Amino acid sequence: MAESVASLLRRSLDHLATEVPESYHHLLRVLGPLLVEIEVDGELFWMRGGRRLDVTDSGNGAAGARIATSRAAILDLLDDEMALGEAVEAGHVVVRGSLDDVVRAHDTLMAYAHAAVRAPSVPGLLEALREGTPGR
Amino acid sequence: MTTRSTVLPRSDFLRAPVLATARPEGYKEWHHFVVYRPDWRLLVNFSLTCETHPVRPPRLVPRVIVVAHDRRWTGVVERFDDVEPDVSPDLGGLAVRGNQMTLSHDGYRVVIDLPHHDIRGQLHFTPSGRPSVVVVTNEPVGDGRLNWLFVPRLRAHGWFRLCGREHRFEGDLAYHDHNWGRFRWGDDFGWTWGSVLPTTADDPWSFVFTCRTDRRRLHALAQVLHVWHYDRPIAVFRDAAVTLHSSGLLGRPPDCTLPPPMRLVLGGDASDVPASIEITAHRSGGEVRLNFRPQGYARLAQPSEVALDRSVLLYETSGTASVTGIIDGEAIDFVGAGVFELLHG
Repeated sequence: MAESVASLLRRSLDHLATEVPESYHHLLRVLGPLLVEIEVDGELFWMRGGRRLDVTDSGNGAAGARIATSRAAILDLLDDEMALGEAVEAGHVVVRGSLDDVVRAHDTLMAYAHAAVRAPSVPGLLEALREGTPGR
Repeated sequence: MTTRSTVLPRSDFLRAPVLATARPEGYKEWHHFVVYRPDWRLLVNFSLTCETHPVRPPRLVPRVIVVAHDRRWTGVVERFDDVEPDVSPDLGGLAVRGNQMTLSHDGYRVVIDLPHHDIRGQLHFTPSGRPSVVVVTNEPVGDGRLNWLFVPRLRAHGWFRLCGREHRFEGDLAYHDHNWGRFRWGDDFGWTWGSVLPTTADDPWSFVFTCRTDRRRLHALAQVLHVWHYDRPIAVFRDAAVTLHSSGLLGRPPDCTLPPPMRLVLGGDASDVPASIEITAHRSGGEVRLNFRPQGYARLAQPSEVALDRSVLLYETSGTASVTGIIDGEAIDFVGAGVFELLHG
């Protein structure tokens, strides 16, 4: 059975905290108090900050930004098959929330991506995501 | 024909085992090969980068980069996190899993084996005659220092499989450089680095151009145009004797971004790859005018080591180069192929 995206995200955050701590703390600062709801192919989870980044199975309905996407779309973005703007325009990535929260969610995604490309262990998680995605 | 010479083994050996062991922070080293065919360019790069870790000791992380231009650029950056690079005792050989580079008296043997990407090849780069090597040491790049040497003209024999096609090389012209030093990607430096070779192997001219700048490219810190006639360095134009002028914009997106996940952090596809690069050089008894017109480019991205939220872009461009001029009574008038690397901060 494929590993859940929430689990992969949790493991990636652990890697960022140990391998690139400056980038991890930068990510924490960018996310700030925002609670982000993420849905990937029906799998629902939340990411929040504080003293550390947590991925939880419950958000108490208080999310400021809501993102819905698929494993295939995430891989298309990471494989350079599609740009983020194209994915949003095509509805492969759907983002909802106030403008400020959507901008903060975007900046958080960029901070996460900058941290991930600096962490040696993260590419292995990408392969785990690929293995759990039909047709990849 | 190959020539037995100690020039390459004496000068082009790996420095990392000594220098990176002595002081690992910021150490980088890479061997770079470019093969020129009339309608095809192949870039192969072996690199070692010293990476520090908050808990573990620093280590040299090997990468193998293969980029090729047919009608478009395509390629791969393969990073080997779980492999210790195997350096031969004479410092002339580097092996990373099935990939090898071996330096000997008769040139360089390169084996590429990246089965996940269906990329394989065996290449033998040989000098024709006594190899001509240029060594440049201790050049400032930001707060760091970079050393390099290059061999402007080699012959490539062998084969290479990429994108489902196998290419054979029978004496195609090639270029090689080797770089090592300590610096940080994203520091205050940039460069334009180009090699121009003829499209026919019997044409005697070869050109290598380097220009180091600050990151914003407002100041040229050093620039040199090297000219070879057959295997003889016939002219070197430096600094004030050289003028670099870029004009227009190529105005097309990159053919590829490597590694692909970096496109996410780069955002858009806009670039400042120019439509034309004009290099003019003058000295007593000689002048050269070189015009390079990029036709496409690959975008190689590195995370900045200076800022947490920035990246460094290397544009690998391929195109046509026309050169005219005269040096010591030898007229130059040829159209060749150029590969220019643009590091734009």
